[in-house]
Amino acid sequence: MPKSIPDGAEKKLKIRKKNGLAPYLRSGVAGKTFDVFNIVFMVVFMFLMIYPFWNQFIISINQGLDTQRGGLYFWPRVFTLENYRFVFSSSNLMRGAVISVARVVVGTATHVVASGLLAYVTTVKNFSGRRLVRVMFIASMYFAGGLIPFYMLIINLGLLNTFAMYWLPSLFGAFNMLLIASYIYGLPDSLTESARIDGAGEFRIFFQIIAPLCLPVLAVVSIMTAVGHWNSWFDVIVFNPSGQWDTLQVHLRRILLEREAASQLLLDQQQQEAMRNLTTASVRAATTMIVTLPILFVYPFFQKYFVGGITLGAVKG
Amino acid sequence: MEAVAVKPKEPLPSRAWKRFKREKVLWLVAGAALIWLFIFAFIPMFGIVMAFYNFIPGRAWSDLEFVGLRFFIQFINLPDFGRIVRNTLVISGLNMTIGFAAPIIFALLLNELFNKPFKRIVQTISYMPHFVSWVVVASIMTTLLGGTGLINEVLLRWGWIENAIPFLNSRELFWPIMITANVWKGVGWSAIIYLGAIAGVDQELHQAGAVDGLGRFGRVWHITLPAILPTIILLFILGIGNILNTGFEYQLLLGTPLTREVHEVVDTFVFRYGVQLGRFSFAAAAGLLRSIIGFTLVITTNMISKKVTDISIM
Repeated sequence: MPKSIPDGAEKKLKIRKKNGLAPYLRSGVAGKTFDVFNIVFMVVFMFLMIYPFWNQFIISINQGLDTQRGGLYFWPRVFTLENYRFVFSSSNLMRGAVISVARVVVGTATHVVASGLLAYVTTVKNFSGRRLVRVMFIASMYFAGGLIPFYMLIINLGLLNTFAMYWLPSLFGAFNMLLIASYIYGLPDSLTESARIDGAGEFRIFFQIIAPLCLPVLAVVSIMTAVGHWNSWFDVIVFNPSGQWDTLQVHLRRILLEREAASQLLLDQQQQEAMRNLTTASVRAATTMIVTLPILFVYPFFQKYFVGGITLGAVKG
Repeated sequence: MEAVAVKPKEPLPSRAWKRFKREKVLWLVAGAALIWLFIFAFIPMFGIVMAFYNFIPGRAWSDLEFVGLRFFIQFINLPDFGRIVRNTLVISGLNMTIGFAAPIIFALLLNELFNKPFKRIVQTISYMPHFVSWVVVASIMTTLLGGTGLINEVLLRWGWIENAIPFLNSRELFWPIMITANVWKGVGWSAIIYLGAIAGVDQELHQAGAVDGLGRFGRVWHITLPAILPTIILLFILGIGNILNTGFEYQLLLGTPLTREVHEVVDTFVFRYGVQLGRFSFAAAAGLLRSIIGFTLVITTNMISKKVTDISIM
């Protein structure tokens, strides 16, 4: 077979492989100059994206008093873990962390199961309520009462200052319902039909057949929901003003606004003595890192599923 | 099939009941969802009429005084009203111009990188800030831009400035810093959708363009941009709908009493009056006014776009 290709064509193919582009798409001098500038720009761009986080990181592992002297740019000068030790020994911050984790787990699990189940219901053929459900939920995407009427509702329901605020109002999501439903539409009908003939109930069909097949889209929805729950703070200060259910983000915000100086976080006098090298800035840096690291941890998973997920939802639409 | 057709029809209620019984599990889920939707989405929607009443929590609706447009007029006559409208328009104006163009430019530049692994690395890093909370961003910004922060330290060391610049307390610098932070946080994420659109451009168009003598810049201008124009217009119309929706997290975290003059927008106003000061009806009226204007704007923009470019979201 190779012999049937003329010599010239083979040569061209080699050139194309070498340059990564067909010959007529290659650029001249102006293009090459642009390429150089573009690459330099992208390197600077990456630096600007990463450095702020790196800066917080080195402050978090550097001794607080030393950081105050300035000149800390790329590497820690006086390495220490006492900033982190402080955060982990502060019962307030630890309680916040536990509540944050609980919120993420409960909020995400309930949302994904509820929205997934609802999405499945709207895809069941011949179900008399499917149109009603879809229309009502889509309508809810376009109109909302706004903050104050919602706030009044929460007060009237007695949900103010409860943990239920973290999952009940976000139980179903119209957008995620549509996203999951569009994925289920892509699955062959014969799967559910044969299961139904075999006498499987609707819940069983969803949990044992549909859900495992929808793993990519469910993963995307889970990750986005989890990140949203982990990051949100405004709803905490509005709907949990008592401070009983303060999440880690809210504690960080309080340190940021310096209403809670580092010394106030620790009530134990002895511990305060041991922590005299700390500054509010260094404790804040450590807390910031603790709040950020879980996000970096989910990043690879996000990468894996998201690329498929967004093309599935946004670009198509 | 024939047998079904000749079978005498049962009366409707009984047929509906039979169908309901057959679908009872499905209705269990759908019913629960609809009840939830009614409570958490529709009650607040109707609750907005409180803007027309002098609402007092705990009192029955029938006992409330109907005040009509009083709170709307009060809001408009507020000495701060002009400033709030200006801030809202300036901030969203910046978001709709610089904040809107940045991801498009970034996507086009990224698309011109021919080293695939490098491109991937840049893109992966670019949307990292989107995933961290505004609290984290605010904390990082305080560290970098504070009076003794890194930026001031470097500028002083290089002798570019005499005294530290109070970046975060400066009225003049509030808007530029805010839009910079918005772009930093969102540029990579917003670029994803454009990159998707760019990837969908037929490569044969590029080949044909090149054969017809278009250079690289020419191909971007005449092929890539027109191809992603529908996406751009679509997102622009959607953005117009949110034009009064400036976001409030940045202002609430990084606004100080010194910058209130330039950072107060409708959203922070609603929060301050409604939640913190307990003036519920007044705050609800301000929020409703904003929603009505936003809705009108999106309808208008959509109409114009439909006439001019034949692209519409509805």
